[in-house]
Amino acid sequence: MDVNKIKQLIRIVEKSEIADFSIQEGDLKIKISKNSKNQVIAHLPMQSQNYIQSPAHTPEPVKPEAEAAVSVKLYEIKSPIVGTFYRAPAPDADPYIQVGDQVNEGSVLCIVEAMKLMNEIESDVSGKVVKILVENATPVEFNQPLFLIERN
Amino acid sequence: MFNIEEFDIKLDTEIIGRNFIYFEEVNSTNSYLLETEVNTDPGTVVLSEYQLQGRGRKQRDWTAAKEQALTFSILINNLVNIKNVQLLTLGTSVAVVQAFENLYQLDVNVKWPNDVLVEDKKIAGILVESITKGNKLEKVVVGIGINVNQPNFSGKFNIRPTSVRMELKKQVSRERLLSEVLNLFEEMLQNLKNNKQKVLNDWKSRSRLIGEKIRIVEGDAEKYGIFEDIDNNGFLMLKTREGVETILTGDVSIR
Repeated sequence: MDVNKIKQLIRIVEKSEIADFSIQEGDLKIKISKNSKNQVIAHLPMQSQNYIQSPAHTPEPVKPEAEAAVSVKLYEIKSPIVGTFYRAPAPDADPYIQVGDQVNEGSVLCIVEAMKLMNEIESDVSGKVVKILVENATPVEFNQPLFLIERN
Repeated sequence: MFNIEEFDIKLDTEIIGRNFIYFEEVNSTNSYLLETEVNTDPGTVVLSEYQLQGRGRKQRDWTAAKEQALTFSILINNLVNIKNVQLLTLGTSVAVVQAFENLYQLDVNVKWPNDVLVEDKKIAGILVESITKGNKLEKVVVGIGINVNQPNFSGKFNIRPTSVRMELKKQVSRERLLSEVLNLFEEMLQNLKNNKQKVLNDWKSRSRLIGEKIRIVEGDAEKYGIFEDIDNNGFLMLKTREGVETILTGDVSIR
């Protein structure tokens, strides 16, 4: 069925007393409705499914929550003390975390050491480690950002 | 054997050591307090005669013969402000030194940042461990190891060890020494809160290396200079040809 035929059909239905009209020809199904709010919709077959989009299926406006999920909010984990930043508990041990790891509130992220005070830094959020901002075994300042976490 | 009554009768504190836990054997007294969810009262002291994983810095073994040493940890948590938490190592050294002075008139000195020496021999060491979340202190534990009644030491050591017994040529009461250290420790905590400068001055007056040419080793890096002073955070100020550098950590030795 070509577009002209659909236009013709619409005109015929418009002038008639018919409120709802539908026709099927092969895979193509056309529904024309004159009920208030309803729209005239012609839907081409997608794959093998015949499907007429009803008003209930019109795309809804994007909700604010959905927008927030799209724009990534990153959380900074900062050093509460001055010291040397270590990613592992010992020189020959595996790092506490890697980029891409999922961490929970309370997960140990690193050690900052100064004057033989070994301070373990725990995450105060849950999320995914996006970036490690400091090289292992380098000094960090008070409040210096150490990790970027994409919060869950 | 550890005589709790003998310890308790000389304990003159309000908080520190009022909750006292004794183990014959435990993995590590520091780890016990960091991990326990039962004994969480600040001031709790855990003493163990033997630590399976007792450790100094860099996981160097800290082994102690049974019932001859004092190896214990103090739970501090909110008794210290996060701004002062880094001064605990120096402050604890001061408390230990003062205990030796008061009880035995021993001439002891402090080595930056966490050792207590008789001349150049190690008699005590300190390891502070803490956990922070956000900008809040979750836990703070001060671990102290003191060589008390060991008759001698065998093996290889980074710094040659000594004990109170070796210095005084007699055995002493571990219980009395522990209560004295805890009394002075509680006093030091108060000073940290109200008179931080006193803690720094007490430490400086027991340091033999201030003003001396020193070598600092940290990892693969070696630095030479003059031990100018410690700053208000307790960090070592090393005077080199380029100027004064702030040293956060490292092994200090005289050049």
